[in-house]
Amino acid sequence: MIGSIVASSLVTEVTPLFVGLSMIGMIGTRIAAELGSMQITEQVDALEVIGRDPIPYLVVPRVLAALVIGPLLMALALVASMLAGWLGAIATTHATTSDFWFGVRYYMRDFPMFFALIKGVVFGGAIAFVGCYAGLEATGGSVGVGRAVKRGVVGMLCSMVVLDTLIAPLLKIIRI
Amino acid sequence: MISITNLHKKLAAPVLRGVNLEIERGEIMALVGASGTGKSVLLKHIIGLIEPDSGDVLVNGRSVIQASWRELSEIRRGMGYVFQDAALLDSLSVRDNLRLAIDITECRRDPAAVEKRIVAALSAVNLDERVLDRLPGELSGGMRKRTGVARALINDPHVILYDEPTTGLDPGNVISMNSLIRSNRDRYGATSVVVTHDIATLADLADRVALLHAGRIRFIGTPAEFFSTTDPVVAAYTGRNDSDTPIEEDVWQATHVVATY
Repeated sequence: MIGSIVASSLVTEVTPLFVGLSMIGMIGTRIAAELGSMQITEQVDALEVIGRDPIPYLVVPRVLAALVIGPLLMALALVASMLAGWLGAIATTHATTSDFWFGVRYYMRDFPMFFALIKGVVFGGAIAFVGCYAGLEATGGSVGVGRAVKRGVVGMLCSMVVLDTLIAPLLKIIRI
Repeated sequence: MISITNLHKKLAAPVLRGVNLEIERGEIMALVGASGTGKSVLLKHIIGLIEPDSGDVLVNGRSVIQASWRELSEIRRGMGYVFQDAALLDSLSVRDNLRLAIDITECRRDPAAVEKRIVAALSAVNLDERVLDRLPGELSGGMRKRTGVARALINDPHVILYDEPTTGLDPGNVISMNSLIRSNRDRYGATSVVVTHDIATLADLADRVALLHAGRIRFIGTPAEFFSTTDPVVAAYTGRNDSDTPIEEDVWQATHVVATY
């Protein structure tokens, strides 16, 4: 039983949420700050002038990388969260290791894990895209970079909440 | 030849209010004016980095404003732009910054020839091969600026736009930058537009000087005419105005124009 409770709470909601927040902190803000700094120091203009379109050169690789790294991070986080759940369960309850993993397997079967990995892909892509957009819209010196990062973080959080809300019913339909 | 017709642009406030300017082929035109009057904004219109609210810019008879992305890329291939702070890509070495400006198919087809071009462009701005593998952050301000010039020159452009090329350089580098701008014109017949605050530079370098004031070209003429005109705005700019009477357009300038694109 405890394994099912841990798995149901962690796999589909809590872990994706924390992975998304971590990706905002580690990837999204970095992208927004880097591209924002490139924008205000005219490096993006320089790319255009020499005939390189900034979108395929700066945005596409970052979004693609985030689409790949998102589910990988999610998988790692799921393993870590399940191990933490197991440790917590055997340390604080009377459940045995086999009870715990039986409960986990009972809940998981195949779908929740897939569900979490899909969220990793979607969150990763959205966070990188919003970070790029915020960075490329930066204006007005170093203060502008700070503003771009702030706008980016707000945008990433909002898009994550919206996507999370949309994905849940969508994937349930697919599951049926 | 560059032809600018009735160019208007409003950013936070109106910056350009009907700029008209003709720059002849092979000419060095110095564009001067007080800080924030929109000189860099005008330069960016010429290369199509900013879209005007109205008006047109023709480079060798082709409209930069109405061009599609593909056409604009083609027009830009014949142009070079030297940014105020060089605008080199921080994460790339000097070699990669210069290689980026060369057509990608050419880089794949003949990398040895491309390497030769990179070295030649660097030597044209008095930099040697030792800087090739350095990152822009490891170069001095003057070296970065010269690398920016090398990048602008690497495709032998027929139009070169310089945004304050001598700002922040020591006197020796100012002289070598000026002679470089002149030699680009003499060697390639390149049309040059130089935004500068350096009076000595424009006297030494320019064929003609245009003063941008209150969103319009207030004065255009040779350096000799620029330094001898009785126009109070030009006189004030060059520090020759001893009148206390405020110039009508200065009131507009003080209240409207802050071009910080």
